[in-house]
Amino acid sequence: MDDLLSEFLTETTENLSLLDVELVNLEQNPTDGSILGNIFRLVHTIKGTSGFLGLPRLESVAHAGENVLGKFRDGELEVSPQAVTLILRCMDSIRDLLTSLEETGAEPEGDDSSLIEALNAAAEGGLPAADPVEDSKVETASAPAVESSPESAGGASEEPPVETGDMEGADAASVGPVNMDAGFPVAAELLDEVAEAEAAGVVAASDAEIASEIAKEVKQSIAVEAKPPTNGAGESRPANQRTQAEAKDPSVASQSIRVNVETLESLMNLVGELVLTRNQLLQMIRSRNDSEFVVPLQRLSHITTDLQEGVMKTRMQPIGNAWAKLPRIVRDLAVETGRKIELKMLGADTELDRQVLELIKDPLTHMVRNSADHGIEKPADRILVGKPETGTIMLNAFHEGGHIIIQIIDDGKGLDVGRICQKIIEKRLATESELESMVDQQILQYIFRPGFSTAETVTNVSGRGVGMDVVRTNIEKIGGTVDLKSEAGKGVSFTIKIPLTLAIVSALIVNCGGQRFALPQINVLELVRASGATETRIEMIKNSPVLRLRDRLLPLVDLRSVLRVDDCETAIKTDADIGAIASTADRGTQNDCFVVVTQVGEYTFGMMVDGVYDTEEIVVKPLAPVLRELPYYSGNTILGDGSVIMILDPGGMAGETSSEVSQLAQTDDREAALRDETMSLLLFRAGGNEPKAVPLELVARLEEINVSDIERSQNRALIQYRGRLMPLVPCDPYFEWPAEGRQPVLVFVDGDQAMGLVVDQIVDIVEERLNVDITADSENLIGSAIVNGRATDVIDVSYYVTAAFPDWFGAISGPPAGESVSQLRVLLVDDSAFFRNMLVPKLEAWGCIVTAVPDAASALNLREEGRTFDAIVSDIEMPVMDGFRLAEEVRSDPRWASLPLIALSSHATEKDFQRGREAGFSDYVAKFDRDGLTTALSELISAK
Amino acid sequence: MRTCLVVDDSKVVRTVAQRIVRELDFETRESINGLEALESCRKSMPDVVLLDWNMPVMNGIEFLRELRTSPGGERPKVIFCTTETDAKCIEEAITAGADEYVMKPFDTEIIRGKFAQVGLL
Repeated sequence: MDDLLSEFLTETTENLSLLDVELVNLEQNPTDGSILGNIFRLVHTIKGTSGFLGLPRLESVAHAGENVLGKFRDGELEVSPQAVTLILRCMDSIRDLLTSLEETGAEPEGDDSSLIEALNAAAEGGLPAADPVEDSKVETASAPAVESSPESAGGASEEPPVETGDMEGADAASVGPVNMDAGFPVAAELLDEVAEAEAAGVVAASDAEIASEIAKEVKQSIAVEAKPPTNGAGESRPANQRTQAEAKDPSVASQSIRVNVETLESLMNLVGELVLTRNQLLQMIRSRNDSEFVVPLQRLSHITTDLQEGVMKTRMQPIGNAWAKLPRIVRDLAVETGRKIELKMLGADTELDRQVLELIKDPLTHMVRNSADHGIEKPADRILVGKPETGTIMLNAFHEGGHIIIQIIDDGKGLDVGRICQKIIEKRLATESELESMVDQQILQYIFRPGFSTAETVTNVSGRGVGMDVVRTNIEKIGGTVDLKSEAGKGVSFTIKIPLTLAIVSALIVNCGGQRFALPQINVLELVRASGATETRIEMIKNSPVLRLRDRLLPLVDLRSVLRVDDCETAIKTDADIGAIASTADRGTQNDCFVVVTQVGEYTFGMMVDGVYDTEEIVVKPLAPVLRELPYYSGNTILGDGSVIMILDPGGMAGETSSEVSQLAQTDDREAALRDETMSLLLFRAGGNEPKAVPLELVARLEEINVSDIERSQNRALIQYRGRLMPLVPCDPYFEWPAEGRQPVLVFVDGDQAMGLVVDQIVDIVEERLNVDITADSENLIGSAIVNGRATDVIDVSYYVTAAFPDWFGAISGPPAGESVSQLRVLLVDDSAFFRNMLVPKLEAWGCIVTAVPDAASALNLREEGRTFDAIVSDIEMPVMDGFRLAEEVRSDPRWASLPLIALSSHATEKDFQRGREAGFSDYVAKFDRDGLTTALSELISAK
Repeated sequence: MRTCLVVDDSKVVRTVAQRIVRELDFETRESINGLEALESCRKSMPDVVLLDWNMPVMNGIEFLRELRTSPGGERPKVIFCTTETDAKCIEEAITAGADEYVMKPFDTEIIRGKFAQVGLL
């Protein structure tokens, strides 16, 4: 093919994909002149270049489109969805012409007069004012008529991409007329870096070579300048920002060159080999200390690492490349189904390996399409439930650790758990009783099962039952995970977590049955040595091994039995090795081994292995086809010593844990999470050497006051603090004021009131699980807790604030009450962090397991999550939803209706009591009458 | 050898134009927009500029105005490339300091003619 023609095809295809994005942008911001200018210029360029190459059909179609755009620009014609649809149709037509041009090297015979007439009519203002849905039908029907190229008549690219609902469709739609998926831009500086590192001259690609390469293989090239939109289609950027962004682009583009993907792939491969060789050399040199090779080898090692990073960077592409088609898809879908959808895209410039990008492109397209089709309701339905008419689908990509997180969030109706259950039973995937024992989150996971679709009618767009399972398989294939959350009426969010690159990963090498295996480091949380002699030992629950690790149950997989390495060993061992086999059998007790705590998605489990070696950078080589069916392996690699080992697939291994145990472990986790909540404690000294502690959140500020500034009034110490008089109370009752100097003070603030607690010395701030061991006798202490391994008194701030302001809590403490509230699960609702922090340790000291939330909405969320409690203690005066309304809400739903509900308020009059009882409170306690609270709790529990 | 700077955002147009001017025994340079072209000119003034009208970042007219006020910027001959759709800007271009204009698509003969008219051949 003529070089110039190749160049033309590449350039025009780039421009077309830019146009798709910009046109959708334009529809959202019809008055944005800069978008319009850009569109006009792009179409103009297509027309101009077609003229140079003597392509009359392309030129005339582009010319007609340009005419309409010119009218838009001059304000003679209004930018309407119909008009944009027409322009998009014009672009599709150009695209089809390009396809034939690419295949045959010449424009196909044909006649574009009907399209051109339609465009000309539009330019004259003769646009049919049909409703959008109707309009789009007409278009799709008439599109083939304007198209006469043989292959496009039935081709998938002819139809708008939305016409196909399955993954294949997505594929066809994303391929486009010119296969643009195999080449991508590389910043010139990166290549310089590579070339530098490759002084040895592995592959030195000069610009000229590359240029001719491209010319030959235009099929494998994609856009350099094709910058995806960096923000949402609906977000209108200020014009100046826009031009700034544009001003930057060309300079980047001019520093970029096209490189054939195959060149990069082979570079990557060579780097992989180099890494392996380096590892091998390092291993050899390790045994000889005084070798003269040490220094050059070290240098080689560094260069290899740099080279690896450099080549890796050349493979990086912004994720926006995979998103470029989405605005058009969503737009077409919205028109077709009569919905209003805004697509927001954040973090489009987040970069990831092109191989990964290729693999997630289709799943992403599918998920966005699903959200648009299933998730977002029709405008009328949205208004009914009080949502804005326009639904939003948000794509968000960002780096986290060595991963890319991609979120797809819609504000639609959410997944219908009821329908999913129905479908599960219909398909016999689980029984009704099994479903009852599952939480919603577990039920939702079924949508990832093959052939699972809840769409009531099969539409063009979705509901063919091919979809989410393919999405998950594709994502898991690249070592990623997909997680979903759904809230009825509020929408669905998918979170995809994928590794940055697939080619070289850091892996932990483990030993099992005398063989070595590699385990991707990203899945490894920790290593535990389990032995019968220590606390961490392996137990059996329902015939499945579990490890009790820090009060949590961890389901285990015995690698030996899963991989059956014992069998192979027995088969190859000679008689002389009998002893070794016997010792293997000894491990029947399953103790004395290492447990690799592994995480797959949100699921944590342990793998039992015999030994752990080192972590190593390994080059992932694909599995031989014959092994590909095995779920336990994700690939293989060559170690430094030249041996070939298998890479374990933690995802496959997770399937080997017993489901009963995992469920048990999950419930256990939840309880553990409650107990494990840590709290920041401020440690200080006041009277004596023993440290005292107070929850840090209670402390508003730490101050040092000048003793000489202290004023006295009625036997109380006061200080001017922030324009007011603040009472000072010494923490130590035997405290004697020094004559002068500075004194540290902890300031407590609630509303307008402030109090200073005078201490001797502030020691430290620690993060500790506040497990108050003994309820103290002394009334100024909550109890004592183990902090930093030492018994520490936790002071009761309420005692001191009451000393400063007798009416601080509107009530005076009485004597301590009964202890029958132990192990009670209490939900505390209070908007004041001060009270929450003061009450939580206190209730915990009484033995309660406390969950504290700042408002009524969070409390009700816990109900939605399926959490249960033994009692609820709630403040009355809270913003947005007060305690009375919370009580009414709690009583109105069967889940929590029977729970004891205790109101806490500083307004404790008879009238309030009555109102509280009417709202559904079981009891009413004056705020911070702490003993009143225990009495109320214990009474309610015993009554129950 | 004399040099010709080809300014156009389309690589296809740049390629075609450069082929033509090379046939006319000119050395060629290229820029993808007005701003780049301006930088290129400031480094070394070409003998002739083949200038596109509609480009991102800085269009042909803006470039031309800047060029003509730069030191030495009055020397290069500037041939303005337009299509029939933006023919109305020819006048604007001439006012801004263009020596000649040429309609796209052009070929060797057309360019040869224009070069001759501005006294380059």
